[in-house]
Amino acid sequence: MAEFQARDKLAFLLSLVPWLIEHDGANVAEAAAHFGVSPQQIRDAVELIAVSGIPGDTDSYQHGDLFDINWDAFESNDEIVLTNLVAIDDSPRFSAREATALIAGLQYLSSLPENAGSATLASLTAKLSRGASAEPAQVGVEEADDSGRGTTLALIRDCVARGTQLELDYLDSAGNRERRRVDPLRVESFDDDWYLRGWCHLREAVRTFRLDRISNAVITDAPIEHRASEVRLPDRLFDGSPEDLEVTIEVAPAAMPLLVDYLPEGAASTDADGRIRTTLRVSHFHGLKRLIASMPGVAVVVAPASARSAVAEWAAAGAARYR
Amino acid sequence: MAVSSAGSRVPVEERLFSLVLALLATETGLTKSEILSTVQGYRQRYKPGGDNANLERQFERDKDDIRELGVPLETVDTPGDAGNNQTLRYRIPRGAYELPHDISFTSEETTLLNLAAMVWREGSLSGESRRALLKLRSLGVSADEPVLGYAPRVRLRDAAFEPLNTALERHLVVRFPYLKPGEDAAREREVVPLALVQYQGRWHLSAAETAFGSQVEGARKMFLLRRIVGAVTAGRAVPAPEGDQAALALAGLEELWESNLAEVEVLCDTDAATRLANRRGTEDAGLTPDGGARRLRLHYVDGAILADELAGFGPEVLVVAPPELRAAVLERLERTERDHG
Repeated sequence: MAEFQARDKLAFLLSLVPWLIEHDGANVAEAAAHFGVSPQQIRDAVELIAVSGIPGDTDSYQHGDLFDINWDAFESNDEIVLTNLVAIDDSPRFSAREATALIAGLQYLSSLPENAGSATLASLTAKLSRGASAEPAQVGVEEADDSGRGTTLALIRDCVARGTQLELDYLDSAGNRERRRVDPLRVESFDDDWYLRGWCHLREAVRTFRLDRISNAVITDAPIEHRASEVRLPDRLFDGSPEDLEVTIEVAPAAMPLLVDYLPEGAASTDADGRIRTTLRVSHFHGLKRLIASMPGVAVVVAPASARSAVAEWAAAGAARYR
Repeated sequence: MAVSSAGSRVPVEERLFSLVLALLATETGLTKSEILSTVQGYRQRYKPGGDNANLERQFERDKDDIRELGVPLETVDTPGDAGNNQTLRYRIPRGAYELPHDISFTSEETTLLNLAAMVWREGSLSGESRRALLKLRSLGVSADEPVLGYAPRVRLRDAAFEPLNTALERHLVVRFPYLKPGEDAAREREVVPLALVQYQGRWHLSAAETAFGSQVEGARKMFLLRRIVGAVTAGRAVPAPEGDQAALALAGLEELWESNLAEVEVLCDTDAATRLANRRGTEDAGLTPDGGARRLRLHYVDGAILADELAGFGPEVLVVAPPELRAAVLERLERTERDHG
């Protein structure tokens, strides 16, 4: 979990107290695992809770006005036993913005088989709204649960549940169509682009498949040979290879965010007359010509000449269809 | 017990936690001077009879922080002394603070909520998700291990997102330069933001014209965040709009998507054929007479964006209708050809 800011720390304290009340005698490791924080974060929080309380009748924080813990059990056994409670019994409500973040996240995930139709989504949204201190509303994401993606995702999940391989037609950006058998490892997405990462039995390596380039997917009887727990997936969807070609492009600054996936880590860029000059690494020109042609006037290939002509020919062939 | 001695700094979270505890414990509420003189973290810095202006400002900021966490901090007038700041009392009503008892989440639901939180890994929404998950964990339910691992992510790459989201929360009018497709220069817009929605992978701002003064009644407009080409500045406050503006905005986009229809021919067995067929809502109108291509009908929201997408497919796609889209794709292809000639 990311470093806590003051607001996170307060949310953590207000959340931890009711959990500790319900889990009398929980140990530090158990609490840390449940909340996804380090044991030290639990210890710090418990130490703070143990000396906190209310001013009380005397306005001076007398002993009975404070939380207390069994210090012996805590210090010698890492065990958390609250011996005096103050002010808090129950979990806090969500803020409107917290509920909004979760609801919008759920909307984005509406095509996952786990969502099992919109009923789960609707009832969860209603619970989050009712559990928020004010009405959530201002951020939303399209629910695309009627897209073909949902069907493919359900197939992939079925394969993993049964432990059998998925067989599919895959058409890569170079135009090669191949029937492949895949052990699904993980599904990843960036906005509207969804990918399956899996062990490809044809290539005998981990490969990334765009969901919308998959067709005719079926579940097979062949057992899965590689599981997510046994394969290390690279952080990036597409790993560069030493044979990659370097291509220099010039891009309008506003369009740079659209290219981050294609830029190698730490790619240098220079200013070229109000445009940004940078270098992409591509395995072939098929993906490049499609990318550049979808950003007309915004991104231009500068070098090498072979890349420029690949893009020019692609665009010319497209334009020729209208003449 | 470990009460800090006068002058030593009490950590922020200890002061905020103590403030919440004190205000939860009081039925009748505490006045500002009672809070500053008795609550841990303030009392160490309180000067009886002296100037406590700094401490008061601290208290104002803390109130905002606590409210942003969803803690319902309310003020109560003292009977017979309404409007007097000195006798105004602060408290946190227990019923509005606690999650209602009948709200619980199953393990499956907790798994889904964990995934929903994972969607936001950048910007302010990731902080909101992180805190929401802490509160969810408070209920003690553990998530199931999902059968298939997911790593979902919605990006917030548009620089305009954060300032617009902040303005939305505070109900402020915004100004920004907006570049419409086909226009040479950006024009400055001033609108009342209503909702930020992601539709087909792109962030849109739903907003109302400010022509009607402070009323949120002007015509509704939709702006693509990608076309906001400069700084967003926030202006005066306006009344909060009523209703679920995000749902209204999404419904509006869906209606537009439904009514815009393009017809294209895609060459069989190409990237365009696979990907456009897999696109949501695509209707297949069958093979062309020569059998080498399929006619597809595509729904869309924005003609300029669809034209960019279709241009990327080069010769694999031929636009049949509407004529504006046909012209736009051809113009894009010619531009790319020229730029690389």
